[in-house]
Amino acid sequence: MIGLITTLLFAAPEWVRTAITRERQPNVFWSEYVVWPLIQILIVLFIVLTVVAYLVWVERKVSAFMQARLGPMRVGPWGLLQPLADGLKLLLKEDIIPLKADQGVFTVAPIISVVAALTVLAVIPWGAAWATISNINIGVLFVLAVSSISVLGLVLAGWSSNSKYSLLGALRSSAQMVSYEIGMGLSIIGALMFARTLSLNGIIEAQQADGVWYVLFQPVGFLVYLVSALGETNRAPFDLPEAESELVAGYHTEYSGFRWALFFMAEYTSVIVTSAIAVTLFLGGWTLFGLESRITPMAFSIVVAVLFVLLALLIAWRGVVGEPPSVMRTVGIVAVAIFLLLAAGVAFARPFDAQSARVLFSVGVFAGKILALIYAYMWFRWTWPRYRYDQLMALGWKWMIPAGLANIVLTGIWYVLALPRPQGVFGLMREQAGRLAPTGAGLAYFIGTAFVLTIPLSWALLATINRRTRDFNLAEQRQLQMRLRRERLEKQLQKGSQETEQA
Amino acid sequence: MAAVTTPRKRRTLKQVLKRLLLIDLFKGLALTFRYNARALYEPRDGGNPLQAIYTEQYPKEPARVSERFRGAPRLNLDPENGASLCIACDLCAVVCPVDCIEVGSIRREVRDGEKVNKKKVLTTFIFDTSRCMFCNLCVEVCPTDCLELTQSFELAVYHRSGFRWDREMLEKGINYVRYTK
Amino acid sequence: MTEPTRTAGASHLDLDEREHTFLDANELVLNMGPQHPSTHGVLRVILKLDGETVTDLDCDIGYLHRGVEKIAEHDTYAMITPYWDRLDYVAAVSNDLLYVEAVEKLLQVEVPRRAQYLRVILTELQRLASHLLWLGTHAMDIGAVTVLLYCFREREEILKIFEDFIGARLTAHAFRIGGFWWDAYPEFEQRVRAFLKILPSRIEEYETLLNANRIWLQRTVGIGIIAAEDAIDLSLTGPCLRGSGVRYDVRKATPYAAYSDFNFEIPIGENGDTYDRFLVRLEEMKQSLLIIEQALDGLPEGPVMAKVPKIIKPPVGDVYHTIEAPKGELGIYLVSDGTGKPYRMRIRPASFINLQSLKKMAVGHLVADVVAIIGTLDIVLGEVDR
Repeated sequence: MIGLITTLLFAAPEWVRTAITRERQPNVFWSEYVVWPLIQILIVLFIVLTVVAYLVWVERKVSAFMQARLGPMRVGPWGLLQPLADGLKLLLKEDIIPLKADQGVFTVAPIISVVAALTVLAVIPWGAAWATISNINIGVLFVLAVSSISVLGLVLAGWSSNSKYSLLGALRSSAQMVSYEIGMGLSIIGALMFARTLSLNGIIEAQQADGVWYVLFQPVGFLVYLVSALGETNRAPFDLPEAESELVAGYHTEYSGFRWALFFMAEYTSVIVTSAIAVTLFLGGWTLFGLESRITPMAFSIVVAVLFVLLALLIAWRGVVGEPPSVMRTVGIVAVAIFLLLAAGVAFARPFDAQSARVLFSVGVFAGKILALIYAYMWFRWTWPRYRYDQLMALGWKWMIPAGLANIVLTGIWYVLALPRPQGVFGLMREQAGRLAPTGAGLAYFIGTAFVLTIPLSWALLATINRRTRDFNLAEQRQLQMRLRRERLEKQLQKGSQETEQA
Repeated sequence: MAAVTTPRKRRTLKQVLKRLLLIDLFKGLALTFRYNARALYEPRDGGNPLQAIYTEQYPKEPARVSERFRGAPRLNLDPENGASLCIACDLCAVVCPVDCIEVGSIRREVRDGEKVNKKKVLTTFIFDTSRCMFCNLCVEVCPTDCLELTQSFELAVYHRSGFRWDREMLEKGINYVRYTK
Repeated sequence: MTEPTRTAGASHLDLDEREHTFLDANELVLNMGPQHPSTHGVLRVILKLDGETVTDLDCDIGYLHRGVEKIAEHDTYAMITPYWDRLDYVAAVSNDLLYVEAVEKLLQVEVPRRAQYLRVILTELQRLASHLLWLGTHAMDIGAVTVLLYCFREREEILKIFEDFIGARLTAHAFRIGGFWWDAYPEFEQRVRAFLKILPSRIEEYETLLNANRIWLQRTVGIGIIAAEDAIDLSLTGPCLRGSGVRYDVRKATPYAAYSDFNFEIPIGENGDTYDRFLVRLEEMKQSLLIIEQALDGLPEGPVMAKVPKIIKPPVGDVYHTIEAPKGELGIYLVSDGTGKPYRMRIRPASFINLQSLKKMAVGHLVADVVAIIGTLDIVLGEVDR
């Protein structure tokens, strides 16, 4: 969004621009900073929103398969048109605003949520070169800052609904998201030490240059990030703000129709965003063992063609062979034919030049990594029970935040020890293209320390911290409070009666 | 069999290691992943408990209804002459716990060969399927095997009046389907 | 917040009042139900919350009251049986067993052995079905949705057996006074044995998903503790009582049907918390499997219906009969005045009495725990409200 604002600024009349930025720019920026970014934004928004719609379908399918069910099967082949039907239904539903709700806030809240979630998309490094809308040098900071606005939407929604369930959900979500943001912020610092930049593309390039994914340097950081991201996006096992069995639907209990759909979109968009950040920081972003810079148009065309053929085979296997003659079977045959034609076309025409092949390949790698993480999220959701509110807070404050801090300290120590000779001890890093990069031995050193030392040490620390809180019992604690209060009151009363006696 | 055991307070090293490596969580994940993987490649045969997917696609595939199923009522006719088997004895109406059966009858002289019998003859038979709880009591008391609860179970109608089945409907029946196991 | 003003010579009553107003400043009254996803029907729980901690609660029941006890005074003995299906509608067969056995006691009818064995098999299958439904919904309340679907898959197999035998799945009307209407169908034994073969491995699956899972442990261990003395005082029965470590089971204490013929154990818990009740019910399921297997092995041949007059007119007298229903001890007090209709029928519902312990278990816990505790009590509103 900042990218958009600056580009709009450059498109504004010169006196406005000079008044605000005090600098002069020639008009070539029209194409560079206005038209092209707008195209990029449209493409990203279109793709992401479509993917969000289909993530709902994927989630339903994955959960169904894990639960011995089939999931959506009626709308289109394998229910593939279900998101369309859902969207249409939600659009056409009656727009209900509760009588006693705060109308203005009630209307604005879902918009805040969804805008906050979508804004972050501006800086996500979707791929190499031109596949990023805005490569700002404080990308990580921007993501953390903007994504934390979305909690405002939830709080306002819960408060303005004027319903107790919504209010409780909003309280839970504000506490939860604020707590887990800290853990999330702490967990990424270790990775930033190695990257030495806040630019998201810069972090990926650093991993490319070091020849390693930072998850190997930062296993603790990655785990803490993963858990915090689950908490931050309100996904199970931390879906307390909308815990169905307790709070009906939490902060969006009173929402229906498209307003509700906006919350849903915000939730899934933030799932994509947090996964994208995890991929960027820890899983090498759009890199894939150096393949992304070596791929030729020829090879890329073959990869695409093979994908199309696999798709055609899948459709033929599941939808055509063995099906009785029906409309669906005809559709399946047509789809198989189209995909085979596409595969042949791509294989023979090879419509990519060198750069676009590389960029598209990197986008594909990035998308694949994000999808793998999202599958893990769904997997967790449909396997594990839900935490309780106080346990969630305990996990956030007593496990995630100390673990993040310990990770920072320990990583810092290993890092300083490995600096080049004058400052460091081991000298396992060297200057390379203006930044410090670990040498071959350095790689082994960092991975070894992370796995052999950081994990046990931080675990020992956590175990020490949480040793006495293992059998934390709220009921006992509560009864203790009540007893103490009763004793205090009794004491006061005794004092009072003594005073009256004296009087 | 002693008391069920709850986890012990002091943990052994093995337990600590299991906890550290999140074994309990990963075991659950492995189970659901197995189901997910099996769902993708196993043939789909609804209602088979040994397969990964249990769903029966009911309106698409015919439902499996057992032979003793108690569904829509029917008044059986004599297969030889097509006359109603009902002798209007009113037992079904009396035994019905929810009073959903009304039997109407008149006394009429019926010629049976040479003899002339004065006999109750069925005129109307109303069966309210909206009140019926399909307990089978009426079928069990029927002395002539006339009233029967069939295997049809799709009794939904668009209007409440559709639940009151008259004699004609009971004898002709809705689209009766014969299910075999 | 102001300190409560001191008054001279205040009694303990005043103290309580004062404390009450003192607490009221932070309280939120939350109506949980009657339309709520996890109150298992139309239970309405009025919660007084301090933050999310429950300081007080009250149950409002009766949304499903149909007056079955009064209806029974107007119906003949045979006509009442289907109403029993609709009390605890997830364990209809067990309810039927109680009623027909009570009437048989009044009539002093000896039920054939084969019918008794079949009754045991069906009621134990029903116990499995009821426990499976409980496990699924309980796990779903705590957030593990997948367990629900697995449990329903196995429950579906039981319902299929019921449908083939009895002709209905849920409100079965399984037994008649004196025995059965239908004998078992030819493949019945084979079907039940096939199911017995599947279920143990499936119970293992539930255990994999829940038993050692740290989240499940955190959500259930130490939640809703009720001591054995309190459980007896509140007249809890069934797994809720056994979870507290009291070894009492009607099947052993006063055997009915053919239960005295079978060997089985009564699992008991130690701590009386939600986790122990969960383990007790899982173990009960395994014991039910053993009982069914023994009953199938010893299933005698012979008739399934005793000689019972067409019009049932028990002699003047009364009878109290109890069975171990899946939810707990289900009792009936039946008074006959010699006519074809009972003079009075009184039900001792297990769920209703177990529900009374909700306040003792839940006060001091969080809202999320109330949901878990309602789940662990295993109530069915059809039985609570009657």
